Amino acid sequence: MNVLTLEAISVRFGGIAALTSVGMTLKQGELLGLIGPNGAGKTTLLRTVIGVVRPTQGRVVLRGDDVTPLSVDMRARRGIALTHQIVKPFRSMTVLDNVVFAAGHAKTGNVLRALGTRSRSEETQRARQLLELVGIDRYADANPNALPLGALKRLEVARALATDPKILLLDEPLAGLNHIEAERLADTFVRLNADGVTMVLIEHNLGQVARICPRVVVLDNGKKIGEGATRDMLSDPAVVAAYIGKEVAHA
Amino acid sequence: MLPTLGAYEVSLIVIVSVNVMLALSLNIITGLCGQVSLGHAAFFGVGAYAAAVLGNLGVPFLVVLPLAGLVGCLLGLLVGLASLRVRADFLAITTMGVGFVFVGFVRKQNWLGAEMGLSNIPDHGLGDAGFVGVCLALVVAIALLSAYIKRSWLGFGFATVADDEDTSRTLGIDVAAYKLTAFVVGTFLAGVAGATYAYFTRFLIPGAFGFGVSISILAMVIVGGVGSIWGVIVAAVALTLLPEFIRVVNDYKIFIYGVLLVLTMRLSPGGLAGLVGQLSASRAEMPPRSAGAQP
Amino acid sequence: MLYIELALQGLVNGSMYAIVAVGLTLIYGLLRVLHVAHAGLFTLGAYITVLLTNATGSLVAGTLISMLVVGIVGMVVYRLLYEPLLAQPPYVALIASIGLFIAMEEGYRIIFGPYGNSFASTWLTERVTLGPFSMAAADVAMLLGAIVLLIFLAVLMGRTRLGMAWRATVTDPAMARSFGVDTIKVRYGIFFVASVFAAVAGSLVAVLNNLVEPTMGDVPSYKSLAIIVLGGLGNVTGTLLASLLLGVIEAYGTIYTGAYLDRDAIAFVFLIAVLMIRPQGLFGAR
Repeated sequence: MNVLTLEAISVRFGGIAALTSVGMTLKQGELLGLIGPNGAGKTTLLRTVIGVVRPTQGRVVLRGDDVTPLSVDMRARRGIALTHQIVKPFRSMTVLDNVVFAAGHAKTGNVLRALGTRSRSEETQRARQLLELVGIDRYADANPNALPLGALKRLEVARALATDPKILLLDEPLAGLNHIEAERLADTFVRLNADGVTMVLIEHNLGQVARICPRVVVLDNGKKIGEGATRDMLSDPAVVAAYIGKEVAHA
Repeated sequence: MLPTLGAYEVSLIVIVSVNVMLALSLNIITGLCGQVSLGHAAFFGVGAYAAAVLGNLGVPFLVVLPLAGLVGCLLGLLVGLASLRVRADFLAITTMGVGFVFVGFVRKQNWLGAEMGLSNIPDHGLGDAGFVGVCLALVVAIALLSAYIKRSWLGFGFATVADDEDTSRTLGIDVAAYKLTAFVVGTFLAGVAGATYAYFTRFLIPGAFGFGVSISILAMVIVGGVGSIWGVIVAAVALTLLPEFIRVVNDYKIFIYGVLLVLTMRLSPGGLAGLVGQLSASRAEMPPRSAGAQP
Repeated sequence: MLYIELALQGLVNGSMYAIVAVGLTLIYGLLRVLHVAHAGLFTLGAYITVLLTNATGSLVAGTLISMLVVGIVGMVVYRLLYEPLLAQPPYVALIASIGLFIAMEEGYRIIFGPYGNSFASTWLTERVTLGPFSMAAADVAMLLGAIVLLIFLAVLMGRTRLGMAWRATVTDPAMARSFGVDTIKVRYGIFFVASVFAAVAGSLVAVLNNLVEPTMGDVPSYKSLAIIVLGGLGNVTGTLLASLLLGVIEAYGTIYTGAYLDRDAIAFVFLIAVLMIRPQGLFGAR
């Protein structure tokens, strides 16, 4: 069953086409890799799914419902969560509170409900578990400003997980982590995926993508240039050319 | 002490109470929810004029109080709805505009006394001691309500909206509903403060609700420390009483407010509460900014 | 005839708004700071011009020195107040600016007294007659002053390094830096130019009313905030158009709505109405 279908999504910023008629589907329980060289439009595509970016054309369909007109928070309450590539912790509160707040989504979804409740014990317990899961429990009481980038990346993941998402959109969660940390976090994704969370992973670490994502979608210059089994795609001449072309252009 | 309260003491207590109520009410909007309002005096004024009109219709004081709050928050709801449409920078200017429009409107309304003021406000009928009691009870109730909201999940949500509303949205927060709630609660309380003021002075002129008053209320919130309930109370009491007791301060009151705003922003944007937080944190040799302005 | 005279009166006021507001919008475009204290510099310019003109007998000398002094004070305000606050949330600089403005106004009252100062000479009250129209000489000075300044501004922004650097920095600060724009210099330059404009506007208003007083900055400060929002924050052309439009609307509005609404509230009714329909301002993009 398709949980998410993107139908011919086009996004233009001013006069520049960021995405041109990109279509793809995400199956229940899948761990899909979304790859492509820098500037391919991967982040824009995820931001279109959560609703931060409005498509110029096309539809976002979630379990058969067209959610294109829905706001970001409504989509989030329907089970879409996003981790930001550029970390965005709430800097006025502790690391733990960042996750506690997200874990309280059942209480904060309605303003009156939020006014009527104070207890945070369940959420605090859940938040501590999640911090442990991503390996940053030792920072629980620190302010995010005191954390290294790697830990903030994992805070993003813990906070997104705390909303109990049905679809988790991960925007370069492994960037900035060393090899062992990256491997551990990638294993965590596999475990969560096995528990039923459907995921889309943007990642430049192609080794990890090849290891954990059975299927990938490849973007280049705002267009989809490939889709299929990861092993096949990574040896596909068009995909290789897209990556190498950029490398040459950057060199 | 109650039986020997002189007129001067009564007026001091009432004015301090009204200012604390105003500062706490703005603190819900600006402090807890992060929406800077430069027109809070308009809601104060709407409450005061509504109380005067209702009082003249024969509605008893204790019924007028909540009704004036309702009228205040009706306007607050409108401004809140407007605030959703504009960026944060625009909100400050829009609320300032609401303040000017309110004063500009009242100045031309004969039925509200226009420039000459409205002076036929009935007596509250509670006697001095009773009125002071009501004021103090209102202050305590509003302080407790503020503290409750701050600790509730609503206050938690306010804090994330103040911090980063876009990220808050991606976590499923209906930012619009949160902002509106802050506006409705804050302006309701400002309306109640307005009614209290109206029954105390029994004379209203448009100038009592101008931009300068909005800035004074904001100064109490900022100097006390945005979001900190005890800080805001201390600042409201101090900024109201200092001009009373120190002659020099009274002569240069506005100048001192201005300088205080600059110095607070420049040296301790967390206000009094932020300063105390930093001091106690450095004494305990904890890392700085551990909790910042929100202890 | 009344309609045309009203329109002219509106344009005179609108020109004054334009000269003040354009500085605000330049600064907002650069730093995202609502520089409320700009109107404090406007008043400072007016005081210096009147005092020096009365001391030297020359309005030109008084105005020129006033422009220079206020321009420098503007740079000092940037250095001491805004620069250290740029990393803070935007409301911090806004409130600091309001605080500075209040303190400046009160400072003028304390130093110069509450009653205001006037020019010693009287040519300003003469009227200029042109066909069927007659205007105060001071009104003509305001219109001409505005035209000269705005042409100067167009050349400055369109043809000089400062103007190009400003536009580049507004569009993309990181990109501007990578192309070798010294963003720090641009900031000082813009604060200088904007403050000089404020000084000229203050001097022209002083001439117009033959009066300077501590609170003369109130109206321009709040109204120019409304104007730069209407113009689409950081949009120079939009700001100019919004200024003139508001001047004219106020002139007519006073006639038609005077019974219900104070003149100074018209700007904000207009502002709120526009924002409800076009949240990005009349001339704002997006």
